[in-house]
Amino acid sequence: MKQGDKQTDENKLFVGIDLGTSRSSISASNNTREWTESYVGWPKDFIAQQVVGKSVLFGAEALANRLSLDLCRPLEHGVIKEGISRNEEAVKDIIKHLIELAKPAEGQKIHAVVGVPADTLKVNKLAIRRAVAEAVDSLMVVTEPFAVAYGLNLLNNSLVIDIGAGTTDFCIMHGTIPTEDDQKTILTAGDYVDDQLFSYLIEKYPNARFNKNMVRQFKEEFSFVRDTAEEVFVEIPVDGKMVQHDIKNEIKRACESIMPALTETTIEMIARFDPEFQIKIKNNIVLAGGGSLIRGIREYLQDALKEYGQCKVTSVEDPLFAGSDGALKLAKDMPAKYWDPL
Amino acid sequence: MASHIPRKKEYRIRQNMLRGVYEDNLKIIGKGREAIYKHRYYLPKRLLLPVLLSFLVIILQSSFVSAPYLPEKYLAQGPRPKPVLAMNADNSDGPSNYKEFIGTTGMPMSRIFGLGVRTIMIDPGHGGSDSGTTGQNGTKEKEIALDIAKRLRDRLKKSGNFNVLMTREQDVTIPLNRRVEMARLSRADLFISIHLNYLPSRPINMIETYYFGPSSDPKVLKLAEAENADSSYGTSDFKDIIEKIGQTMKLQESREFAISIQKKLFVNTRKENGNVFNFGVKRAPFVVLLGVDVPAVLAEVSCLSNKEEEIQLNTEQHRDHIARFLELGILDYLNKGDVTYEARRQTDR
Ligand SMILES: Nc1ncnc2c1ncn2[C@@H]1O[C@H](COP(=O)(O)OP(=O)(O)OP(=O)(O)O)[C@@H](O)[C@H]1O
Ligand SMILES: [Mg+2]
Ligand SMILES: [Zn+2]
Repeated sequence: MKQGDKQTDENKLFVGIDLGTSRSSISASNNTREWTESYVGWPKDFIAQQVVGKSVLFGAEALANRLSLDLCRPLEHGVIKEGISRNEEAVKDIIKHLIELAKPAEGQKIHAVVGVPADTLKVNKLAIRRAVAEAVDSLMVVTEPFAVAYGLNLLNNSLVIDIGAGTTDFCIMHGTIPTEDDQKTILTAGDYVDDQLFSYLIEKYPNARFNKNMVRQFKEEFSFVRDTAEEVFVEIPVDGKMVQHDIKNEIKRACESIMPALTETTIEMIARFDPEFQIKIKNNIVLAGGGSLIRGIREYLQDALKEYGQCKVTSVEDPLFAGSDGALKLAKDMPAKYWDPL
Repeated sequence: MASHIPRKKEYRIRQNMLRGVYEDNLKIIGKGREAIYKHRYYLPKRLLLPVLLSFLVIILQSSFVSAPYLPEKYLAQGPRPKPVLAMNADNSDGPSNYKEFIGTTGMPMSRIFGLGVRTIMIDPGHGGSDSGTTGQNGTKEKEIALDIAKRLRDRLKKSGNFNVLMTREQDVTIPLNRRVEMARLSRADLFISIHLNYLPSRPINMIETYYFGPSSDPKVLKLAEAENADSSYGTSDFKDIIEKIGQTMKLQESREFAISIQKKLFVNTRKENGNVFNFGVKRAPFVVLLGVDVPAVLAEVSCLSNKEEEIQLNTEQHRDHIARFLELGILDYLNKGDVTYEARRQTDR
């Protein structure tokens, strides 16, 4: 950084925000890091407001009180629908909430870089900016996989695959800010695994009582592909009694259900580039996002790609904050003059 | 994990990226220098809609569209044939089936094929006065393509599950519009055109597969623009229009078909010869691929500019292998969506 470019001004708080379909996180220059599930709930009526005692609830708390609330997962389908103010309102509230969690000092100006799923950004640039702008003093939006790549110094010759809840985002880095052609989004991601697991379990245990949320928790606790030595038993109520259920095979099948699309898209993305460049990218494939926590997924992908030649797949260390950390790095590196008009 | 970039270069890359982020955001709020010229191919808004609409109407109504396409060798090199895009006013074939595809997304394959025999049309590229590309030792694309096509036909026929047709079985000249028409009249369920590539600038062997759609590759676009020049529509119009109807079944299915062909061709070829490059599945706005109403792909199964490959192509064994890989690709595509097959595909690693 050139002298004077680096912003150390006490009056500024830099924040990086990862606005996800299932989870949103914030990393700030005062070293706070927080996250919330991307659910927003507003009390349905006056009585509900009395019950929950707040005018807006977030994440787990919102889910726990969902019967009293109008619940909204604003980016669920990857888009903020233009003109549907509820979603925009929800994004506003999430951002406000995250910034409160980052505890800015009195009077600090907030300079934010917000990472959003690539497809969302493509269609909702303005809506996103509008929704976020109120809560901050200066704002830039970027695509989420780009933020991840920037934060990890993967500026060149790499492919970042961000396996989130609603979408899996692919982003090829070749030394410039990625364009739409360098990025691709597919819908096989965490939610898809949940749906598969849910239907496998219903089929196998028709009498067990469980819901999508429980299923997601099973997944997050036991997820794996290929093989694992451990047994996978969970307790699910049957006729009001807790009963142990073996779900190992279902977990495996559900987690592996995203692999063909993941592999195919990886190959397709790489094949868009020159042979020489292909070799470099193939040796620098990086998995991020909550889905990268599936045990064995890195090895699985690496093996599947072997058919196409030598390659190396790694996973980021901290997938839950890789997006917001990268956005924060962008915010801190951004020359002061660029913030002014935004 | 970090890439090995010299510090100074890294600094420059970062500065450029930061400026890029800044400029992108300026554009979003409409302050950017080029805010209005967001698209590479700019058409005044006022003109865009009527042009798109009229073009959509043409796609929907034209009984057939003809245009010569010669993707492979012209991608990398010089003069191109003068393109023709003739809109035939004669509607005797009835309206294009294309209408049926629009708005019918997510239909399972069994619906397209029913349960009866599936008809596959194989189109050996070029022929007659049009030799296609020629290798340094004189190997002609039209001959190799025809030989592979025949082998593929025999393999598919042997399985007994398919009705297999060819656009040509001899060394004859057949215009492209005629090939499209044949696919149409025969009510083929799948269309595969077999070609060989030629990359004069690089002596490598490569494989790529095309389906119809918008492209962002400047080489492909340049070619397509030339091909479609007489249509009085620019490639940008194609791009927009195709993006609008991009979710139609034919495009999705063609893409899936292309993925299967490319995968089986490349992975298996690579086992025999590690020196082959995967150029992947590509979209190209060739009107002629749009003209065929069913899942249609154009496969560049090999590359004549590579000397070793040219020698190999002159062996029966290599040609037979390519036919086998194409067959595997077709089967892979037809089996997609079949639940038991999917399960196998997912766990069989
Ligand atoms: N240990 C785990 N194993 C498998 N999946 C997990 C695990 N932990 C979290 N997940 C899944 O990761 C997903 C959330 O990841 P992430 O926070 O990256 O998504 P997001 O950013 O909210 O979504 P998107 O990127 O689609 O907007 C959820 O589907 C969650 O269930
Ligand atoms: Mg995410
Ligand atoms: Zn050809």
